[in-house]
Amino acid sequence: MNAVKIAWRVTRLNFRSQLEYRTEFLLMVAIGAIWQVSVIVFATVLLTRFTGMGGWDSSDVLLIPATRMLAHGLFVLVLGRMHGIGRFIQEGQIDVYLLRPMPVHRQVQLQYFPTNAIGDLTVATGLMAGALSRSHLDWNAGRVTYLIVCLIGGMLLEAALFTAVASASLRFPTADYWSRWLEELLGTFGSYPLNVLPKAVGGFLTFGLPLAFVAYFPAAVLTGHGHDTGVPYWLAAASPLIGVLAYLASRLLWRWSLNHYTGVNG
Amino acid sequence: MIGSIEVRSLSRSFHTTVRRPGFTGALRSLVNPERAVKHAVSDISFDVAPGELLALLGPNGAGKSTTIKMLTGILTPTSGEARVAGVVPYEDRERNARNIGAVFGQRTQLWWDLPVRESFAILRDIYEVPMAEHATRLKEFDDILELSSFWDTRVRHLSLGQRVRCDLAAALLHDPPVVFLDEPTIGMDVVVKEQVREFLRHQVEQRGRTVLLTTHDMTEVERLAERVVLVNHGRLVLDGTLDEIRRKYGSTWQVRATLADAHTEVVPPPGIALLRQEGPQVVFGPDGPDAPTVHQALKAVIERYEVTGIAIDEADLEDVMRAAYVHAGPGAKGA
Repeated sequence: MNAVKIAWRVTRLNFRSQLEYRTEFLLMVAIGAIWQVSVIVFATVLLTRFTGMGGWDSSDVLLIPATRMLAHGLFVLVLGRMHGIGRFIQEGQIDVYLLRPMPVHRQVQLQYFPTNAIGDLTVATGLMAGALSRSHLDWNAGRVTYLIVCLIGGMLLEAALFTAVASASLRFPTADYWSRWLEELLGTFGSYPLNVLPKAVGGFLTFGLPLAFVAYFPAAVLTGHGHDTGVPYWLAAASPLIGVLAYLASRLLWRWSLNHYTGVNG
Repeated sequence: MIGSIEVRSLSRSFHTTVRRPGFTGALRSLVNPERAVKHAVSDISFDVAPGELLALLGPNGAGKSTTIKMLTGILTPTSGEARVAGVVPYEDRERNARNIGAVFGQRTQLWWDLPVRESFAILRDIYEVPMAEHATRLKEFDDILELSSFWDTRVRHLSLGQRVRCDLAAALLHDPPVVFLDEPTIGMDVVVKEQVREFLRHQVEQRGRTVLLTTHDMTEVERLAERVVLVNHGRLVLDGTLDEIRRKYGSTWQVRATLADAHTEVVPPPGIALLRQEGPQVVFGPDGPDAPTVHQALKAVIERYEVTGIAIDEADLEDVMRAAYVHAGPGAKGA
């Protein structure tokens, strides 16, 4: 309970401190929104120029970027401060976190308020509203619940990938650069039905870098394409569970890396 | 034991890659890297009693910070054992963190974008300090460190001196029995340094805290520490009180004499060396392990030469430490 109280207090104070720098605050919100411009362009082109993609109706395809972006926005808001661990090590900040009776991972997440998440979430919510309004599906309670669970699973899966990179950074600070590549990859391929890509690429984005479980498989299950994804239906449907398991595994990796932390001298 | 530090045969090694010179060497290192083991700390043992202030000294890269990092739970030792207030720091980091306070002069543990008082309040919640106790302690710290004039300022806008004073307060707000200070006054002006020293003295003498201090400032050591542990090349070189160390290494005196006759042939007495001669001005110093004391040397010079003026310079603590670094080789223990 005390942990929640502290997290809430720090988040509130961090948010308030960002509000005091009005221009910086607004710029960060704008950056969050502008960063998603490629997804907005994709959605616009999809709706105005194509009737569908890879056997999917365009309104169904729109659910993929909407799910991906909303999961990403939640990730940025809740668990998205894992970038730059290498820099923290160089600056001795991880040493400082290790001096406090509080998990280091939690302290990393509480280091600042991610103002850009407001931009991310605003665009993502708009896109999801657009996707749902164009959808021909019956959005009953079961479907809505599954969508919400998938959003949380997608958030955890993205967090798992960045936590894994951050764990590597604890040992090899230059591994930080991989997080940029990861972000680029997620942004580039996260909006497409992966069956339009060559099989090898689709396979890599399913079993190598499990991007498919963030939005493609959940959208496929929701829109009735769950049997045409190239993986067993149960696996596609279990996407949220994959997210949870991946996140738990990444936290174990983080803990192991932290136990072997050597700081800048290592 | 509450407040004590016990260190037994503590060692820490790091694996590094040997850099080969030149472009070809860099390419060879890429294909076939040569690994090396760097022993940052080797087989160090010492104790700090509850309520004692110990200065851990040594040149840059001697292993002081690595030792402190192991005792604060940041690093796990390669071998050996340490207990801080009865807790093995690297095995139970969070429990150890509740027993210790730490200040690293170069970095802050405060929240960069928040006013200092908000950081204090967050730390109060983290360490679960009762509200009234927190207020009393903050007032006590403010009385000595004069924090209230800037504690509503964001940390990023504080001067170095203000920031370190706040860090000191932050490190002690939860009333830890053991405090680690790694170069806490580095870069401070003399006024703030003295304020910090007074605060530390108060914490040791009045509050009975155990303090392990690293510093390159010998004035600080003289003012605060009774006992020092000297490390060099990762090894403990000596462990003793300041008096013991002075007795052993403090014989680096100089006798400056002005001779009545500038053409006098100077053959120094036994145990005394002629360091410099410029006309009638001559400077003598100790020669070898059986050198006389400064007063014996003074007497010997006056008896041997006709002088029109004479002065003595006794070594300060910095000279003593320099002599200790030079004379006590790695592995030597005890003052």
